[in-house]
Amino acid sequence: MSKQQGKVLMAGKRIDLPQGTLDLLILRTLALEPQHGWAISERIHQISSDVLLIQQGSLYPALHRLERRGWIRAKWGLSENNRKAKYYELTKAGRKQLQVEEDSWKKLAAAVARVIESV
Amino acid sequence: MEAELRFHMERQIEKYVQSGATREEAARRARLEFGGDEQVKEEHRDARGVSFIEILLRDVRYGFRTLSHNPGFSIVAILTLALGIGANTAIFSVVYAALIRPLPYSQPNRLITLSEVRPQEGQSTQSNTRNWVTSYPDYLDWARQSKSFESLAGFSGDSFTLHGAGESELVFAAQATINFFSTLGVKPLLGRDFAVGEDIAAGPKVAILPYGTWIRRFGGDPHIIGRSIQLDDKSVSVIGVLPREFEFAPRGNAEIWVPLHIEKDLATRRSLRWMPVIGRLAPGIMPQQAQAELNSITASLAAAYPQENGAIQVVMVPLRERIVGQVELLLLILFGAVGFVLLIACANVTNLFLVRAAGRRREFSIRAALGAGRARLISQLLVESLMLAAAGGVLGLLLAEWGTSLLIAAIPETLLTFTPFLRDAHANLAVLAFLCIAVIFTGLAFGLAPALQASHGREGEALKEETRASAGGVRARLRGALVIAEIAFCLVLLIGSALMVKSLTALLNHNPGFDTQNLLVFGVNLPDTSYPKDPDAVRFDKEFSDRLRGIPGVVGVTSNSVVPLTGNGASIRFLIEGQPVATGHENECNIRDTSNNYFSVMKIPLRAGRLFDDSADSETAPKHVMVNEAWVKRYSQGENPLGKRIKFTYSASQPYREIVGVVGNTAEAGLDSSDEASLFVPFSQDANSFITYAVRTAGNPANALSGVRSSLRVVDPQLVVIQPFTMDQIISQSPSIFLRRYPSYLIGSFAALALVLAMVGLYGLISYSVSQRTRELGIRIALGAQQADVMRLVLGEGARLTLIGVVIGLAAALGLTQLMRSLLFGVSAADPITFVSVAVVLALVAIVACYIPVRRAMSTDPSAALRYE
Repeated sequence: MSKQQGKVLMAGKRIDLPQGTLDLLILRTLALEPQHGWAISERIHQISSDVLLIQQGSLYPALHRLERRGWIRAKWGLSENNRKAKYYELTKAGRKQLQVEEDSWKKLAAAVARVIESV
Repeated sequence: MEAELRFHMERQIEKYVQSGATREEAARRARLEFGGDEQVKEEHRDARGVSFIEILLRDVRYGFRTLSHNPGFSIVAILTLALGIGANTAIFSVVYAALIRPLPYSQPNRLITLSEVRPQEGQSTQSNTRNWVTSYPDYLDWARQSKSFESLAGFSGDSFTLHGAGESELVFAAQATINFFSTLGVKPLLGRDFAVGEDIAAGPKVAILPYGTWIRRFGGDPHIIGRSIQLDDKSVSVIGVLPREFEFAPRGNAEIWVPLHIEKDLATRRSLRWMPVIGRLAPGIMPQQAQAELNSITASLAAAYPQENGAIQVVMVPLRERIVGQVELLLLILFGAVGFVLLIACANVTNLFLVRAAGRRREFSIRAALGAGRARLISQLLVESLMLAAAGGVLGLLLAEWGTSLLIAAIPETLLTFTPFLRDAHANLAVLAFLCIAVIFTGLAFGLAPALQASHGREGEALKEETRASAGGVRARLRGALVIAEIAFCLVLLIGSALMVKSLTALLNHNPGFDTQNLLVFGVNLPDTSYPKDPDAVRFDKEFSDRLRGIPGVVGVTSNSVVPLTGNGASIRFLIEGQPVATGHENECNIRDTSNNYFSVMKIPLRAGRLFDDSADSETAPKHVMVNEAWVKRYSQGENPLGKRIKFTYSASQPYREIVGVVGNTAEAGLDSSDEASLFVPFSQDANSFITYAVRTAGNPANALSGVRSSLRVVDPQLVVIQPFTMDQIISQSPSIFLRRYPSYLIGSFAALALVLAMVGLYGLISYSVSQRTRELGIRIALGAQQADVMRLVLGEGARLTLIGVVIGLAAALGLTQLMRSLLFGVSAADPITFVSVAVVLALVAIVACYIPVRRAMSTDPSAALRYE
């Protein structure tokens, strides 16, 4: 997993996402359908109830990283407003990776929750 | 990239607009979020990964910075590599020029040389491959009857006194059949080739000049074609000039080419074999087919002419082999030797790199932690090592050019004319290609192992404190293995050169059968026009010899048809009275026309009977001959030959000649040639038109030369002194000596270089090991270890490496020296004394190399060592 972190705006305060979470979010978003970069960040913003706002300064590097790793694949296409845009889609390896990341995220989240609640 | 970001920005602006902002506000807000355009692009660029060229350039810049921060290391590495790569390139230039580059003829591998041999009883045809002669009538028959050769040509040597182009001078020339150049596939640069009908008739009327002669002697005269030149007493028209790249090694010294103009005897007598023949295979014909056809032609000639051709066979040898055969093995051995030197140099630089890489572990770990992949680290290290190798290569190329010039300059001119391809041994495309390959190979060879090592480190470990001694582990084993390999290679080279030096010494000390001191040797040719009959030659000889004796410093004058140690002799067929032989199968041996005092002046021992003397062996006396011991062994079965009579079979009118004496053997072709049977005839009873004189002097024989020239001028101003040399010069220039002495120097230098490199490597290893173990040694000393113990500890490591290296080296040498067996003389390729003594010397030097760092170890101050962090 990359050691680069995503900078996210959360309700006015900058919070650092744990390592690799941004990758997980992107992969999950693309699991449904191929999208272009702006749409990905919009989708995450919406689904997280406006909590997670991903700046393009973190988004695109993450996208390129994922592309280099072979987990997503890029293609130029026509956007909904008829402009040329670069669409990303999951590869088969990407789907596998998504599964892996989801599993480890769930484990992590459960463990953290247990620690917090046990006190 | 930009398009994508622009798209993103526009969508963001639209979103803000849709939620109520004005266009300008939306645009401003979006731009704020984006931060500076350039910074964004930069970040993206980094994340996206840049193109290959940009990575390469970055690595090069980084490598350049790193290497220049460590100038000592870099300079040592570059110099070491330059030596190794340079030496290899130099030798490769020569190997290329001699063995790889195609001969400058059309389809040169279709050119085969033909020679007639007369195998003696029990001798195979192949043992006679030095001979290259055919009789002219046989050549004509071959040309007429053979279908497997599309063309057959012959040539021979020649010489003329050239008048009218500068001073009158004797020049070497060559004569050839009309189709000679066309058989080789060479077209004249200017003018035309020889035409049918221009040969044989009385004296040459036309000539073709080599390019060099045209430039040197005729100043590149643009009107050379059609110009008349004066050769001896004949006026000859120049009809052509050869291309610049033309060379023909067997007649490398020919400055003029003329059509064959042989006398009637040589043209018609089938038993006089003198002409080398070259043939071009017809298209699609294999050599085996040609050999079979020649065999059948030869058989039919033997049937038709049993006297002349009864025992004749034909040997085919590719032209290339005739030209380079002698030096091929030698060059390949030199190439192998210098390859070893390069490997040793690489091993040393690898060790340097390994040591340095150990020191850079921290740097690599940090980079790895920052995200550099292992492949990136390796590639960056390889770029560094390739840069060093390239720098070494450039410097090495300069060294190679200089070295090659030296190499060629050290070859005596006489030998160089017969190996003209060597003049071309300079940097050309092939050599540069080799250089690049050598550089890449070298860079990878010494860069790979350290790169793999260095990038392997687990990140956290290296970032911890570095007090651990890194003397143990894989890295140290690798360094040790490299030093062992160096020692082994070095030993092989040392043994090889020791064997060559021993051969050389044995050869120089070998007794050639006569006294070689203070002899001046030269030839005189008596043209038929002024000396048509034997008595004329005898008269000349007497007068000239008397004059020579009058030169101050001369203590003896004698003559023979041939100089010993040059292998230029004639041979003759004979039969022994009472031992009839089938026609055409007579025995053949060397024949020499000697003056009566020949054996005493040359100090050749008399074994039985008597020497020639003036009264008993004069012109009118009964015919006598002398023989040498080899002749007795071969033809007389060891019985006393005195009193037996022999007869030459080339003419039925030849008389019987009685053997009156037996003399010791003399070396004919070279100091290392085996004994050949020879018959000696007194000059007064059978004169020769080419006489070789040997003048023994009290002091330096070269001083007598001017006296010789003036004596000759007085006796007959038309004659010139031909090829005067002292016997020492002849010996040192003879191939058998030169082809041993020269390579001995070379291999000796390589071995010395290898020794220095290997010992530097050993020293470095032990030294580094000591410095790594300072703490440990300090503790040991503090705990009571004696100096002797410490010494044993450190020296033990060096001794172990040396011992393993020596053992491996000995084994390898045993195998490899077998390859040079044919070059050795008087010493076997597995000579135990040489092997053992060289190994012992190497071991001693190695111990000295280990000793210096050991001294340092022993003087370790324990408290300082313990404090060392």
